[in-house]
Amino acid sequence: MLRRTDKPKDDIEYAPPVSAVASPSAKTEKTVIGENIAIEGDIRGKEDLLIQGSVKGSVQLEKHHLTVGARGQVEAEITADNVTISGRLMGNIKALGKVEITKEADFTGEIKAKRISVEDGAYLKAVIELEREPEKKPAAEFKPAAARPLGTVGEAPKGS
Amino acid sequence: MIWSNAQSTPNRTSPELGLTEYVSMALQMFTDFLRRSPGGQVLDLGPVCDQNINFFARQIKRLYLCDLFLRLVRERRQKPPPASLWRDLDYPLKSFDGLLLWDLLDRLPEADGKRLVDTCHNLLKPGGMLLVFAMGEDMNLSEVCAFALGADYLVRLRPQPHLSLPVKRVRQNREVLNLLRPFSPVKSFIYRNGFREFLFKRA
Repeated sequence: MLRRTDKPKDDIEYAPPVSAVASPSAKTEKTVIGENIAIEGDIRGKEDLLIQGSVKGSVQLEKHHLTVGARGQVEAEITADNVTISGRLMGNIKALGKVEITKEADFTGEIKAKRISVEDGAYLKAVIELEREPEKKPAAEFKPAAARPLGTVGEAPKGS
Repeated sequence: MIWSNAQSTPNRTSPELGLTEYVSMALQMFTDFLRRSPGGQVLDLGPVCDQNINFFARQIKRLYLCDLFLRLVRERRQKPPPASLWRDLDYPLKSFDGLLLWDLLDRLPEADGKRLVDTCHNLLKPGGMLLVFAMGEDMNLSEVCAFALGADYLVRLRPQPHLSLPVKRVRQNREVLNLLRPFSPVKSFIYRNGFREFLFKRA
């Protein structure tokens, strides 16, 4: 008769604590500010941070990633390497790398970053300053011949 | 203003939408204008689109985004006082070198359209450019699309299913010009299915 073999104790999967998730490859840790936590003041850190609660003040994670989770509510000046916004954020962001804004986000403020991505549906009132590329010659010169002038004001072509 | 028939440009169509991608002459002119004012500021009134943010934010110093499409949709659900739509257009007067007003005017009641035109006029610097898009009668008028700008000014229309904001009325060219009377018309382009692009200047 077949019997289920008990799993050896060594095979039990390690479940990391919620507040500090260790990534085996990069060895970076992440702190989580939970949904029921409210912080007022300045946060400085040397690891990634996920905010699901409420934060008011400033957040400085110069070489790390800040995520404002879908339930996060943040009113702060932010300096970070990369920033992901899925919740509500009011304030200015200075990112050395990329800012990602997902469709669930509600953002009001200024963003200075190297790169940005924004999903359709994100609710924004924002000012964006991106690192500008050196001036390139446009790939195609403007050719007015492609559009045939037809007349002056009020003489729009018919049947087009 | 010179009218141009842009039929000869690449213009790929689908029966459902009437237009899915095309080469935008007006965006090319608008961008050429912005390149001459590299310290400039542009306001995009939405729908917010990743490609356009990345394109314009690298052409100019500061790109302002205020998505009125989303605001309109949200506020219709909440039924707030009518003035609340304008609350977020609280920028200083004569702030912007360029203003992008995609096909929003088609989706507003007449009175709101006039108010928006006046607001845009107040926000634009003298000599600044306003770019307006207007739908054609043969297009899908119930669906809002983002006008995603690609290489060589190829614009792809990307449906925005989260925005339920049907076109109120397709205006004739003369009606568009009349609505935008505070501005000086510069150039317009008309495409095969009646889709139009208008470039205006604040005197």
